Amino acid sequence: MIAVPLVLYNEIRKTFIITWNYRVDLAIQFLTLVLFFVFISFFIGSGTIKSEGLPAVLLGYLIWLYAVMAISNMSTSLSGEASVGTLEQIYMSPVPAWMVIVGWVVANFLQHTVIVALLGVILVMILPVTLPLELAALPPFVLTMIGLIGFGYAIGGLTLVYKQVSSVSSLLTNVLLFLNGSLLPVHHFPAWLETIAVFLPTTQGIIVLRRVVVDGASLTAVWQDGSMVFLAIQSFVFLVVGWILFNVGERVAKQRGTLGQY
Amino acid sequence: MNAIELVSLTKTFHRRGSAPVRAVVDLSLSIPRGQIFGFLGPNGAGKTTTIKMMCGVVIPDAGSVKLLGHDVQRDRSAAMRQFGTVLEGARTVYWRLSAMENLMYFGRLKGVRDRYLKPRADRLLKELDLWERRNDDVREFSRGMQQKVAISAALMSDPPIVLLDEPTLGLDVESAQTVREWVSRLAKEENKTVLLTTHQLAMAQELCDRVAIINEGRLIADRSVDELLSLFRRDYYTIRVGGLFNGQGSLPEGLTLEPGDSETTISGDIADQDSLHQVLRCLREEGLPILSVQRAAPSLEHIFMDLLNEDRK
Repeated sequence: MIAVPLVLYNEIRKTFIITWNYRVDLAIQFLTLVLFFVFISFFIGSGTIKSEGLPAVLLGYLIWLYAVMAISNMSTSLSGEASVGTLEQIYMSPVPAWMVIVGWVVANFLQHTVIVALLGVILVMILPVTLPLELAALPPFVLTMIGLIGFGYAIGGLTLVYKQVSSVSSLLTNVLLFLNGSLLPVHHFPAWLETIAVFLPTTQGIIVLRRVVVDGASLTAVWQDGSMVFLAIQSFVFLVVGWILFNVGERVAKQRGTLGQY
Repeated sequence: MNAIELVSLTKTFHRRGSAPVRAVVDLSLSIPRGQIFGFLGPNGAGKTTTIKMMCGVVIPDAGSVKLLGHDVQRDRSAAMRQFGTVLEGARTVYWRLSAMENLMYFGRLKGVRDRYLKPRADRLLKELDLWERRNDDVREFSRGMQQKVAISAALMSDPPIVLLDEPTLGLDVESAQTVREWVSRLAKEENKTVLLTTHQLAMAQELCDRVAIINEGRLIADRSVDELLSLFRRDYYTIRVGGLFNGQGSLPEGLTLEPGDSETTISGDIADQDSLHQVLRCLREEGLPILSVQRAAPSLEHIFMDLLNEDRK
């Protein structure tokens, strides 16, 4: 029996060493993220940066970055491992592949948390925006992440079968920025678009997190109005469906003999 | 208990818009412990598919694979502990990690406990002459050194079975020699079972105790190398005599004469020693000096080609 912490440690260590090798690229990406938010604030303020409404947008932006992590990284990690020739080696481990992939998810989550935290601090310093750290935000944040991880597994399953999913996942993450309510709360959307938007990953999480962090609502309040319950149900559905799709994708790839192809 | 047991292994690939490809057809093999087993065949014969089914990364349509008694599909975790693999291809380790980091990573992935990891990695890196460059990124290595890292990574868990798909492909002469010596040592000194595929039949003849040849997914031969060589041994002789010899009529049928400027070469199959003596007597009666008599043994390569041609008829 191989200990789960050992598997997680192995994947986190590998991910951080490889990421450190690409530190210059990472620094440029980080700068891009800072500038991107500054420009978003500038456009939302019609040419000026206004503090009004900016915390809600910043919160949405930071959650969207986690969505990028969960969706894009899953497909690029799987395709990357396949092209490097190490994906099949991972499947030859006594450890189930899903456990190794949980290691990737945790490693990516930690990496993105460092990036998001640093980004948040810098943006709060350079822009007229504050984002209170509320402990009550933790449960909706965790639920949002669970849903995202499930969605990431679904994308992973599709990547194992169809291979060229990275462009689709890139399209999806970009669309999410506009449809998950990061920039504009979904209740401003036309009714039909709002209906679609609330079923997308992170949308409900952003709604609940905004209520707690920006509006100061209590966890009891978001539970009683049903928004937290909806988030919990949605996240677990994403997790279960994602898990099933990943396992189906894995089996199909093994049957077709295409696991190591990219 | 056999190290490797394949029973009626079958795999057909269905590709959209093209006819199904029968990659492996009803393949059964039993390989005992400590044997170096050559798995030979032309490109597309089904060798890599078979190895991948043995590793559990391709699911067979029918049949089973057991590694030291553990079924790859039903008892996956235990089966995965029995082998280390180097699959065909230039990149089977992380180029952005150092040789040491790769070995530590793949060791942990195979479930090697931390207290055994470092000593094992140190030993492998020293034995394969990688010690001085253990902290360099693998991307800075030559192809031969990268292959050595891949082989070391496969051996990190000290597995009883080693599966090598074209282990010397693309290597220079010196690196290929190191790998060959290493493979031989694994079986002789460490009693590991080694299954290797290769197109270098001289290497297979040098290293393997036994070979199987497959063509279009079907097994067409499975014997020890010595058995195969003796079974296909032809008593083929080449006799050189001084001067011009014109007495073909006095020689047994099937021999060919090649007259040269100052000598004649007679060659062909001579069934037994009596027939050979008869030929030599004829030559002596003609008064020609015998310059040399050579018996040519067919190589594994000749046998491989003969078997393939026979199978394709």
